[in-house]
Amino acid sequence: MPARWLIRRLLLVSYTVLVVSLLVFGITQVLPADAAVALLGENATPEALAAIRLRLGLNDPAWLQYLHWLGAALGGDFGTSMRTGQSVAPMMLVALSRSLLLAGFALVLMLCIAVPLGIWAALRQGKAADMVSGMISYVGVSLPEFVTATLLVICFADRLQWLPATGYIPPGEDFAGSMIRLVLPVVTVSLMMIAHVARMVRSEMIDVLHTDYIRAARLKGLSGQRVLLRHALPNALLPVITIVALDVGYLLGGIIVVEEIFAIPGIGRQLIIAINTRDLPAIQAGAMIMALTYAVANTIADMAYAALDRRIRYE
Amino acid sequence: MSDNLLRRLWRTKQGRIGAIVLGLAALLCLFGPNLAPQNPEAIDFLGRFRPPGAQNWLGADQLGRDVLSRLMTGARSTIPLALLATLLGTLAGAVIGTLSAYLGGRWDEAIMRSIDAVMAVPGLLLALLLVSSLGKGSLNAALAIAIAFTPGMARVTRSVALSVRAQDYVKAAIARGERGSFIVLREMLPNVIGPVVVETTIRVAFAVMLFATLSFLGLGAQPPASEWGLMVAEARRFVHQAPWIILAPAIAIGITAIGFNLLGDGLRDALNPRDER
Amino acid sequence: MPAFSRRLLLAGTAGALTLPIGKQPLAAPRRGGTLRMSVDQAASVIHPLRTRVNPEYLVSELLYSNLTRLKADMTAEPDLALSWRANAELTEWTFVLREGVVFHDGSPFTSADVAATFKAILDPKVGSPGRTNVGPIADVLTPDTRTVVFKLSAPYADLPVAVAYTNARIIPAAIASGNLDRLAREAIGTGPFKLVSYEPDRRIVVARNERYYDPARPNLDRIEIMVFPDPTSEASALISGDTDLMMNAAQGEFPRLSSASGVTGLRTPSGQFLNVNMGCDVAPFNDVRVRRALALTIDRAAMAGFVAQGFGTPGNDSALNAAYHFYQDQPLKKLDIAQAKRLLAEAGHPNGLDVTMIASDTPSTRSQLAVAIREMAKPAGFRITVQTMPHATYLDQVWKKGNFYVGFYNMQATADAIFSLLYTSNAAWNETRWNNTAFDKLVGEARVTTDEARRRELYGKAQVLMNEEVPSVIPCFFDLLAARRNYVQGYALHPRGAVFRLDEAWLDEGAPKRG
Repeated sequence: MPARWLIRRLLLVSYTVLVVSLLVFGITQVLPADAAVALLGENATPEALAAIRLRLGLNDPAWLQYLHWLGAALGGDFGTSMRTGQSVAPMMLVALSRSLLLAGFALVLMLCIAVPLGIWAALRQGKAADMVSGMISYVGVSLPEFVTATLLVICFADRLQWLPATGYIPPGEDFAGSMIRLVLPVVTVSLMMIAHVARMVRSEMIDVLHTDYIRAARLKGLSGQRVLLRHALPNALLPVITIVALDVGYLLGGIIVVEEIFAIPGIGRQLIIAINTRDLPAIQAGAMIMALTYAVANTIADMAYAALDRRIRYE
Repeated sequence: MSDNLLRRLWRTKQGRIGAIVLGLAALLCLFGPNLAPQNPEAIDFLGRFRPPGAQNWLGADQLGRDVLSRLMTGARSTIPLALLATLLGTLAGAVIGTLSAYLGGRWDEAIMRSIDAVMAVPGLLLALLLVSSLGKGSLNAALAIAIAFTPGMARVTRSVALSVRAQDYVKAAIARGERGSFIVLREMLPNVIGPVVVETTIRVAFAVMLFATLSFLGLGAQPPASEWGLMVAEARRFVHQAPWIILAPAIAIGITAIGFNLLGDGLRDALNPRDER
Repeated sequence: MPAFSRRLLLAGTAGALTLPIGKQPLAAPRRGGTLRMSVDQAASVIHPLRTRVNPEYLVSELLYSNLTRLKADMTAEPDLALSWRANAELTEWTFVLREGVVFHDGSPFTSADVAATFKAILDPKVGSPGRTNVGPIADVLTPDTRTVVFKLSAPYADLPVAVAYTNARIIPAAIASGNLDRLAREAIGTGPFKLVSYEPDRRIVVARNERYYDPARPNLDRIEIMVFPDPTSEASALISGDTDLMMNAAQGEFPRLSSASGVTGLRTPSGQFLNVNMGCDVAPFNDVRVRRALALTIDRAAMAGFVAQGFGTPGNDSALNAAYHFYQDQPLKKLDIAQAKRLLAEAGHPNGLDVTMIASDTPSTRSQLAVAIREMAKPAGFRITVQTMPHATYLDQVWKKGNFYVGFYNMQATADAIFSLLYTSNAAWNETRWNNTAFDKLVGEARVTTDEARRRELYGKAQVLMNEEVPSVIPCFFDLLAARRNYVQGYALHPRGAVFRLDEAWLDEGAPKRG
């Protein structure tokens, strides 16, 4: 891949990171109450508050705090959590690894279901199968994660008792236990994406099937299956890559809610805790990591797209 | 939008179902509080957790309030705010997107790269941070959703506007030496509206869900409002004891979102009457 | 118990109120095994001097020891101190310490550690929440390594109970007067367990301290504390056998837990309450008639149902209930809307009154109470707007500053502790600014009185005063709820809510084997 293209992408990712850091820092500056208050809770005395604010550097002007933070962050140091006193970067990276496990499974499950479902619906266009899959996708994109999660827990964990309701075990500790606990969260997170992507696949597939190119192939007498697998499918799936990459944004948002409900100590839950306790370094690091994940996912998708479609030239 | 468009919309199946669902929702928003069989705020000690039946058709909640009445009253504090949030976001996004497309060149590049950067923050996270800063409450939640929607809408508008900008009438206006604001507002925006309306309609569905999610995370409407997301959030503690309290508003959120999604798809098909889809 | 055993013996009062729902078989404790306990909130702070919430108290109780421990009847029993005595004026208390105790790092425990710990707690810069709760300590002397003498600035009868406070865990002197922040991530105590791993939002693991001073305890080899942010999933985890014990069960989950097979629900009455604080120094609540009017609009029995889901008892605007030793029974206030209207009119509000009531979002019962009061007070002419906000914002902007908001407090060990925490003029958290000199005098006198009957009389009068003057509306008290798997033995709910005693818990037959 041309070096110029890569450098440009890297610059774009850096720019993204800079904009996001400014944005998030700006918002955190106007958050009511600060970490000292959240930390001491109902036991705050003026002396203790002053001592903690001094220790946390909360008395510095905002721009100075930002520059301090930026300088340290460039060196890989995202500061220490105001809440626990632990170093933020390792804390968030461990959390991220758990979230990626969840997100990865959700992506795989989504692709395994959404793509065949979309193709099937496209081939049976207008028939009962298409209607059913259409209805499924409408329901899928219209239920917020917290509703889906609640319904799944009531059904599979409490009534049927097939699956554990929540909790997280690292795969290294108890692999089977870890996997079985991921089932409901993964299903919840992937549901909306399944609905969304299946619709996209269906619509792309229908477009492709109507192109002159496929019609011509059919006229030439090529078998239906061959046309489908060799010609229609690759062309229909290509745009899906971009869609999936953009869906990473929803995925990360959905993870916040799902982790909260299923008690998965991933980056989404860390962020909610950080926001509630006004733990600025943790908010910053968490938001940065999320933005970076999104930017990297999109860059990878662009690269995959370019590699798969020779018609696209690098700028 | 012309009568012609509405007729085409009605002819699509999605458009028809969506319009009917949303028509009912609109009726609820307008007349729900008047039609509600009981006072949605009246608490009733003996009626706590009463299952659906003759007294309370959809059951009663943890304070003995009638779920159906709350649902009917709550439409007014749920749907209009989601609409408002989306419209604000769309407006801001449309202005930014059209402006970016009109300016073109380096400005366009700078604006769009910044928009891309902001989009790297998941919408829910951005909304969470914004509401935490603004303070909780329905209007603040709506504002936060509007801001979270702006970059996405700017992107959509820009791509549409770019194709419009290449059109002859815009070129002609530029050649006439019209002011920039005139070109953006009078020539470009109106022609951008069609596709943007489709995107907006689908986004309202999202806004309804995001609104509910914010309320669920404790950052949306204020009790005792019967906003649907807040109803779900409050009912979650009693989900095993009285599932009907959570099911009713959850399903209402789902149906409303489906309505907007269907209407959006119907509008899209009506706008581009492309083959036999 | 030596010395002060003559007072504060509840002789079964609170003890009989503790109603474990299942019967505890009287078998000999078994040794060994791993207990998995769930908590509903992260233990973000394990620094024993800085802990603030129950899960944090649980962790620091496992890792550290106090001088004394609080029994279920709210009297003190020996922990690191073997005995104690006071001078006649109650201004000087002498504690005799246990011998041969070592910290987790092997260093011996002496009186110097006690003195340094208390000095750190009392230092405002340390920011220990316990600073105002450990008694009026002026100085700590160490005549020898086994003796500690507390010099008080005022007579104080409750010191043995006060030093059992959740923040008064003894830490090594070297750390107390040196790098105090070290204990934010590690634990060097004398407690029955040692810290193995600490992940604030997921899991905290402790293992048996082989050098604990009592060879008979603890029974368990290892305890894993699992954090669940969601009460529903926490309950589901216990029902499915993922966890063995819950620190706290939500009221909405309790019926489901109690009826699940293999699970026993635990319930004990407690002095934990929700209240509505009113700024007694500004209009409209500076008029006692307005406060009385509000109090008359509340159906207290119904409120216990609405807010505590029936797992609670009606309150009577006094901070003490039957779980407290010096509780005095008074007839429950009756709902009287007509009288409330009359009082409001007399106070100059014949057309009613518009007020905004603020409720933090944690715990969710606060907003539930606010909504219920809004509806109950409506007929009398109170037009209440409810405003909820995140807890941190509430603490920053409303708490102790606002004039009309919902408070939530744990039971305290003694009557004095709760009164001088919230209601006296010099209370640490004087939220109501009631500043009632008669009340101050009663509490102050009881504090320095040793005669049981006289104290009961004084505290009785103080409760009547609260009931009449309504500095805050206290509509209901909560029972504490929890649940355990049937094989978890030797664990009972403590009414204080912040004492756990897992060193005495053990696993019976049927407990799962856990690495």
